[in-house]
Amino acid sequence: MRRFGLHCLLAAGVALALAGRVVAQNGWDADAARLEAAVAASPDDLRAGNDYRMAVIVAARTDRNLVKYDRAIAFFEKLVTDHPTAANAHLNYGFAYVDKIPAAGAITQVILANNALGAFTKSLDLRPSWIGLYTRGNSYLFWPRIFLRTKYGIADLEEALKMQNAEPKRPYHVRTYVSLGDGYWKMDDLPKAIATWKDGLAAFPDSAALRDRLAKQGDDLQKLIDDSYDPSKRVDTSLQDLWTNQ
Amino acid sequence: MDKPVNDTKTTMTAETAENHVGRLSAISARSAVIVSIVSLLTLTIGAADTPGVMKFEDIAATAGVRVRHHTRQFKGATGDVLHMFTSGGAAASAGDFDNDGFDDLFVTNSNEGTTSYLYRNNGNLTFTNVAEKLGVGGGNDAKSIVADSVWFDYDNDGWRDLLVVRFGTPILYHNERAAAFRDVSASSGLTTFGNTIAAMAFDYDNDGRLDLLFGNYFKPLNLLDLPDPHVLPNDLDNAVNGGGVTLWHSLGNGRFENVTAKAGFAGHTGWTLDVGHGDFDDDGDQDVYLANDYGTDRYFVNDGDGTFTDKTETALGGFDTKKGMNVDVGDYDNDGKLDVYVTNITDEYMKECNMLWHNNGDGTFTDLSRETGTCETLWGWAAKFGDYDNDGLLDLFVVNGLRSAGPDNYIPVLVEMITRPGVDFTDVRQWPSIGTMTWSGYQKKKFYRNLDGQVFKEMSAAAGVDNDKDGRGLAVADYDNDGRLDFFQANADQEPLLYRNVTTGAGHWIQLKLVGSKSNRDAIGARVTVKTAARTQIREVDGGNGYAGQSLQRLHVGLGASTAVPSVSVRWPSGAVQQVTAVLDRLTTVREPASSGSR
Repeated sequence: MRRFGLHCLLAAGVALALAGRVVAQNGWDADAARLEAAVAASPDDLRAGNDYRMAVIVAARTDRNLVKYDRAIAFFEKLVTDHPTAANAHLNYGFAYVDKIPAAGAITQVILANNALGAFTKSLDLRPSWIGLYTRGNSYLFWPRIFLRTKYGIADLEEALKMQNAEPKRPYHVRTYVSLGDGYWKMDDLPKAIATWKDGLAAFPDSAALRDRLAKQGDDLQKLIDDSYDPSKRVDTSLQDLWTNQ
Repeated sequence: MDKPVNDTKTTMTAETAENHVGRLSAISARSAVIVSIVSLLTLTIGAADTPGVMKFEDIAATAGVRVRHHTRQFKGATGDVLHMFTSGGAAASAGDFDNDGFDDLFVTNSNEGTTSYLYRNNGNLTFTNVAEKLGVGGGNDAKSIVADSVWFDYDNDGWRDLLVVRFGTPILYHNERAAAFRDVSASSGLTTFGNTIAAMAFDYDNDGRLDLLFGNYFKPLNLLDLPDPHVLPNDLDNAVNGGGVTLWHSLGNGRFENVTAKAGFAGHTGWTLDVGHGDFDDDGDQDVYLANDYGTDRYFVNDGDGTFTDKTETALGGFDTKKGMNVDVGDYDNDGKLDVYVTNITDEYMKECNMLWHNNGDGTFTDLSRETGTCETLWGWAAKFGDYDNDGLLDLFVVNGLRSAGPDNYIPVLVEMITRPGVDFTDVRQWPSIGTMTWSGYQKKKFYRNLDGQVFKEMSAAAGVDNDKDGRGLAVADYDNDGRLDFFQANADQEPLLYRNVTTGAGHWIQLKLVGSKSNRDAIGARVTVKTAARTQIREVDGGNGYAGQSLQRLHVGLGASTAVPSVSVRWPSGAVQQVTAVLDRLTTVREPASSGSR
């Protein structure tokens, strides 16, 4: 999931800082065990899983220890095995793979991204949701064109757009416009991309991401979008907006 | 054969400079033609105040070297995959084996039954293949695949010998004064099997004898008679089941001793694709950089006592996961410290970026490939620094491209395998056949002009070198002795290219041929510092830096518009320091004083 606004970044930053403080005070193993216990007690709780993952990111970044990402992946793998119908557990499982991607080598990134897609799909199979559709759709956009997956991303994002149009407007819904436009752009349908970004800007006039896209053309636009889907850059997978920006 | 150059120099003192053109005219009637060519060229190059327009033309056909390389064809169901994994051995090594003052070329061939080529430079931009006549064409048998080569004078007799490394055992040929080559492999002790893809000669202990470092790709299993199909990388970003390296210490009696473990290299078990050396910490001995496929490159500092210490984590800031292909060494920003350029894979489906390791001078390096504009060269292979326009700044040519074939792309097929749950990457049987598919093929080469020591500009099309062959090795040399660096590009399963440098308005230059006495005769490891009013440049003689290639032994230094005689200082591997007077726009031969040395 791409970062899309200052408020989102700040929220995520606060969450990461808090998580970091917890880790620093108590040691990783103890904190991981506590956070894992909280998730295990409530496997379908999106927020509990999110808090755990954010703590993992901080801990792993602090000492560059990739084992922590692997621990989280293994934890969620067991969680979904124990609770196969917990849709949000599958969602967090997928995000756990995504969280490791920027720290991994180029080929491992492909494997992690593919595993994440599998988990997102399982979540959607269990319970279709806006966040599930947006997440999987956006994930498909990270795949280079050669893999022919952009069309699947567009299909998910179009579905997410329909879903959000039937709900009360939420600030995070702007993400769908950004990503869907990017998807059209990746399919060389610039008019549709521009139309989508314009629709989004009409609904969310403060969106810097949409303004940037509409202000750029040609190579500049390509660079903007390429940078947005660079697997070596950490994607903000914090879901905090879902409960703080209602 | 022409009278050997070295024979004309026996009465010269260490600081004697000679007029190369004049010497050539005395050598043979053939060379008179060259004198005319060179004389004319010196009228057009070396006079500009502004940088020249870099331009090259491919003369492979007229030069007689446009002969195709063949990769090894494997039999059986897994043959297709093994063929892919061993297609890196299109190599070329420049070296003046007959001491006539012109760099010759050894070019590998790899398929069973094919022979490699020894192209003798005729001195007029044509070459004659004398491989079979002189006995160095072989090596591709049912058990072995020729992969790389190195010219080096292992016995310090003044005639450069030839090492051919293989997926198999190496072959060491003794140069019989250019009349023939004699296979001395058995007596040399170089009889250990290895899947060697890279080799370099250097004197790691400064004892005056050249040692050898082999870069081994696979672990030492005979790929042509596989006892076990689990031979491929155990991890595609962090593999530790490769062949590592092998260090051979010259004992001085024609024999070499395997000192890999003793020297501290046994812990490296990566998939080594290239080995490079240089005195990165400027302490008088040669350090080592290893480019490794499927994982972490390694940086070893020479401890000065015959051992090396792995400083990868502290020097490079951690462990990379990239697909290291090439090690070339040069001081691109003229700050007096040797930097390293490594190619990786940056393509539509993988964004690794190359590494231009800027030497910070404090034991650490910083990757400035993005900042310098040298990051993206697609599926990179060899890359060579060289001052191609003689402006005093090292430029960079990079070859790329894995496999140019049919319209279908192998990547989606490969990714299906890679993402299959539980797949065992090491099992060659798991890898899909490539058939007629293309994999990172038809890639345009990259030629970077060094603008100011900080930023490079890609100009391969303007320079005429934007070919889309499946490049592998590079051998840079001044094949026509006109003071402009040319290069030979070896291509896998394709014909090579020989790019003659026809840059107009190039700057002035000097070339230095160093001849060691107490130091190894090839002077490998010697450092030269060249000072002009505009800048100070350093160069080191290397023994095979750059993937699948070896470039000129002589040191080439561009001087730009400066017509002043530069101040030249030579630091020999023996430790001796010598001040030299070089001649502008000429080759100067420098001999190490016989009494030199502090080691």
